[in-house]
Amino acid sequence: MTTHSTELTVGRPRRGSIGTILESLASLVERRRLVWYLTVSEVRNKGSNSLLGNVWWFLDPALQLFVYFLLVNVIFNRSQPAILLFLGAAILPWKWFTAALTTATTAVRGREQVLRQIAFPHIVLPISSVLASVGSFLFALVPLGALYLLYPDRLTPWALAVVPVALVQFLWTIPVVITLSALAVFFRDIANFIPHGLRVWFYLSPALYSIETLRGIADRHPWFGLFVNANPFTWIFAGYRDALYYGRSPEWGPLAILALAAIPAILLAIYFFRRVSPLFVKVL
Amino acid sequence: MAQRKVSRTQPAPPPILLSGLGVQYDLRLSKKRKLRDTVLRDGRHSKSGKFWALRDIDFRVDSGESVAVIGPNGAGKSTMLQVLAGILEPTAGKVEVRGKIATLLQLGAGFDPELNARENTLLVGEFLGVPHNEMLQRVPAILEFAGLGEFAEAEVRTYSSGMRARLGFSVATSVEPDVLLLDEVLSTGDAAFIEKSRGRIMELMKRARAIVFVTHDLDSAATFCTRAIELEGGRIVADGPAKRVIDAYKKKIAKRSATARRLGLVGRRGN
Repeated sequence: MTTHSTELTVGRPRRGSIGTILESLASLVERRRLVWYLTVSEVRNKGSNSLLGNVWWFLDPALQLFVYFLLVNVIFNRSQPAILLFLGAAILPWKWFTAALTTATTAVRGREQVLRQIAFPHIVLPISSVLASVGSFLFALVPLGALYLLYPDRLTPWALAVVPVALVQFLWTIPVVITLSALAVFFRDIANFIPHGLRVWFYLSPALYSIETLRGIADRHPWFGLFVNANPFTWIFAGYRDALYYGRSPEWGPLAILALAAIPAILLAIYFFRRVSPLFVKVL
Repeated sequence: MAQRKVSRTQPAPPPILLSGLGVQYDLRLSKKRKLRDTVLRDGRHSKSGKFWALRDIDFRVDSGESVAVIGPNGAGKSTMLQVLAGILEPTAGKVEVRGKIATLLQLGAGFDPELNARENTLLVGEFLGVPHNEMLQRVPAILEFAGLGEFAEAEVRTYSSGMRARLGFSVATSVEPDVLLLDEVLSTGDAAFIEKSRGRIMELMKRARAIVFVTHDLDSAATFCTRAIELEGGRIVADGPAKRVIDAYKKKIAKRSATARRLGLVGRRGN
């Protein structure tokens, strides 16, 4: 005869806002292995079913870099020393962000089946989606690093500062992905809108041009200056470029402020996600 | 995790307790996707686009009971299982389920087509929240029971639907549940596997404290279950010993289909 547990497994009372957030965080720790499995399978699935397989992980960012190189250097004829590194330092991190947001829209919606069949903390889905996107960025660092073969004098110890800058970007990607993954369940249009929104955002950020160019525009349009300063990617791109291109220390002040501001944003996103997650099964 | 201490003087709480339970769907939220549902609305849909899939359910399953849930399509049977499994949160009222739960809803949920049987077993184990070490120990038995042969090492995307269901069944039934929730899974795979899975389910039923079995197969419901409830329009309309409730339900259906036949004839003549 087996002894039976009488622990309450379904029907725990609802908690307050802080309790809700803590519960979600605790469930992430408890299900860390599930998060890891989902992350790995997402990374793996990208390479499968194509001829070149995992080579795409490196080829994709390299090709994208090449496209922008053609655009900026050949068509617009902008001269910039070590242009590939100049572009790569911003474009490859941006590719990480776009990949994260694009997969965010299907992070929950694409798991319809399992959501309907198994009770599990849904927060693991957007979190593993964020982590999988980090994987894609790590692969992109390979072609980026290869650029130093072309410009060996650009490589300084400050290149290591890419780690804290990437951390700031990572911290901001989390709340955006969590929120989008939940919203995409209710509004399918979000998936259609995201590529356009991202493109506008990209061109308004100092990726293909230096921050000085944007500041020049801001002198003529004051509201634009406000946007440039409020845009996290102004500071994040500047940070990457300082570390990887100019070989100097990034401006730590704005990055630190961004990092700190990300924390309440993450908690808020987790709270929002947990409150709407009971509706997922009903809507999907 | 909130854990209620059970004092020795009081009797243990029942494994399943639903009180005043209601589950409401807001069709405005899913309207964009399922326009069809809004067109085909029935009496339970109020003007605001909300409808109750389950309403005012008071239901208690005591230790040792196995309950069949019967009723027409759309009566709320599957919703009820989803609530008991913790997949759906109630809109009103309270749900309490105690002890380990095993759910046999549709099989094979959570499988990743790019992973092999062993990896998928571990993945689903994580979804279910089974501790990793425990799952590792179970893997050989699960694969053995699924009878995949050389396919155990192949990706699940290469499986036939029968093999997939067999693996799903083996994973889902590998736990020793206190509460067993079944949704029409007694007919999985080929005849040999049906026999085998029946045996496994019987075994689980013997060990579980409480069983809720949703089915359209009235005969097996009458054989397996001690008690039956009939749902209609999201409410419990009959509750009692399995045989009595099922017999009454059969009579009701027979009467209804006779009426429908008659109406059908009248309708044809009218045209």
